Amino acid sequence: MSLTADVADADAGVVEPATVAVIGTGAIGQDLISKIHRSPLLDCRLVAGRNPDSAGLRHAERFGCPVTADGIDAVLAAATPFDVVFDATNAASHLHHWSLLEPLGTLVVDLTPSRAGRMVVPTVTGVGATTGRNINLISCGGQASIPVAHALAARFPVSYLEVVSTVASDVAGRGTRLNLDEYVATTAHAITTFSGVPDVKAILNISPAVPPATFRTAVHARIPGADVAAVRAAVDPVAERVRSFAPGYVVTACTVADDRVTVALQVTAHSDVLPRYAGNLDIINSAAILVAEQHAARLGRTARTEAAR
Amino acid sequence: MRNVVIHDPTLRDGQHAVRHQLGAVALRRYAQAADAARIPVVEVGHGNGLGASSLQVGQAAVSDDEMLSTVREALRHSRMGVFMLPGWGTSDDLRRAIGHGADVVRIGVHATETSLAERHLDVLRGAGAEAHCVLMMSHMASPGELAEHAARAVGYGAQAVGIMDSAGHFLPDDVTERIAAIAAAVDTPVIFHGHDNLGMAVANSVAAAQAGARIIDGCARGFGAGAGNTQLEVLVPVLERSGFATGIDLYALLDAADLAERELMPAPPVTASMSIVSGLAGVFSGFKHRVVELSGRAGVDARDVFFELGRRQAIAGQEDLIVDVVAELSARRATT
Repeated sequence: MSLTADVADADAGVVEPATVAVIGTGAIGQDLISKIHRSPLLDCRLVAGRNPDSAGLRHAERFGCPVTADGIDAVLAAATPFDVVFDATNAASHLHHWSLLEPLGTLVVDLTPSRAGRMVVPTVTGVGATTGRNINLISCGGQASIPVAHALAARFPVSYLEVVSTVASDVAGRGTRLNLDEYVATTAHAITTFSGVPDVKAILNISPAVPPATFRTAVHARIPGADVAAVRAAVDPVAERVRSFAPGYVVTACTVADDRVTVALQVTAHSDVLPRYAGNLDIINSAAILVAEQHAARLGRTARTEAAR
Repeated sequence: MRNVVIHDPTLRDGQHAVRHQLGAVALRRYAQAADAARIPVVEVGHGNGLGASSLQVGQAAVSDDEMLSTVREALRHSRMGVFMLPGWGTSDDLRRAIGHGADVVRIGVHATETSLAERHLDVLRGAGAEAHCVLMMSHMASPGELAEHAARAVGYGAQAVGIMDSAGHFLPDDVTERIAAIAAAVDTPVIFHGHDNLGMAVANSVAAAQAGARIIDGCARGFGAGAGNTQLEVLVPVLERSGFATGIDLYALLDAADLAERELMPAPPVTASMSIVSGLAGVFSGFKHRVVELSGRAGVDARDVFFELGRRQAIAGQEDLIVDVVAELSARRATT
């Protein structure tokens, strides 16, 4: 089934969009705001930062979003809880935010590598029947690599998996830089969870190259007797599915040397505000928006069902 | 005489030359010899540091835990050093290394990405080890940028800060200018770590000391990535003749170097043609094995691959880019 079927269905019937707040005004938050703005199912009612002079809050204002510098407190103070809260802060803050948001019944979509909520990779887990109200998007490298890691492990006897991502320096914000340890641990944990391969490693490089390097992820796997055509056949359909929500996702190289397989992936951004090379932000945010839209579609359907009674 | 502290990464950077295959016996034997020579700091680990054993760079023969406990036991006088790249190793690796008795902990970051070290330098505050921050691939940044980033690293808690000429690209005047700029910007000791791709490592290291560097790296027989590092047993007497005291015993140092040649390496590094190319291209010396291997398989000229990697400003750790560059050059050749 298409990942966006429910959304398309909901879109056709005129439903009230879900109310949304974004916490965090860094690079992730700013792109989220533009993606929410584009979505007919999501209505951005608040963008919460901590610095009243931040570029992120000015950016949100340009998109017509109400803004506050009171952070999570302002989100909690809303008269009616938001349907969805995106957390684009950092791993440690997320744990605090979740403890405060959990009692409100809000769906929390966590873009930090906190490892706290239920992990979602759209093409692997789906975004539909979510159990739990705290959804974790793992990491940019996780979103890029796990569809391929999952496909390789399903088809071949993989004994080891390693994922190396490179992000352009100017789209690696302070949160990312301070959360490298969490990035490494959470990405590795997610790869093991979705591939079943216990022996894994995650690595992140930050490149200051000018012009900036497009976001890329290499998936290295040890597969005895690997065949390059079979690897291609396993990986290509997966990439096609990921492109249904992250159109810049491509396999740039597929090599086999002895038992060592490397699948190189590149993601360009298709966004109103991001440069093309910022595929790291685009893929994780596109997945987050998909989760929120599915939730909005469900809320809409529930509302319509109740109205029909 | 002014004092300089010699920091010896033979058992860390040398790993690049043997695909990270040094075994426990080799580690112990060299550490004992270095200790006997009174080399102040003996650094050990995978070539890319703590937690870096990987397909991307090479899987180590021995675990980090075993490397550190082996070397720790062998050292009586020398302090033990470790190296870590944020995004490769983590704070847990740092804590384990300190638990194993690491005295000097270096956090390596690309020259203009000091903020990546903020968290880990903070973890090291009060942890009982001397915290260093080294700016890698420093030829990619101007003297002013390096000085600014060095000062930032000190602000994060680095107790010594400096530069690695990871590609072996500098000439002595480049080093003089950069070390002087850093020394003027910080109050901590300044570090210089050379590579010998263009035959300049000893001269560059002397230039660094003369410009104010107080911690100089060198490896026995130059054992290290690509053309190798600054050759330690040449560096020490040359520094002494230039007026810098190292406190190292010359004969014992020469014995340690002879032992290193016998027991650590199939052959001492030479300035091979490919290493000259990587130095000119400004590409990390450690890329050599993989560039040569993949170029050979695809039938493209490895020298072209190095220059293309340099054009793309590949940084240390981006070995996965080699696959793409080789594929692209191979395709380009097929169409012409």
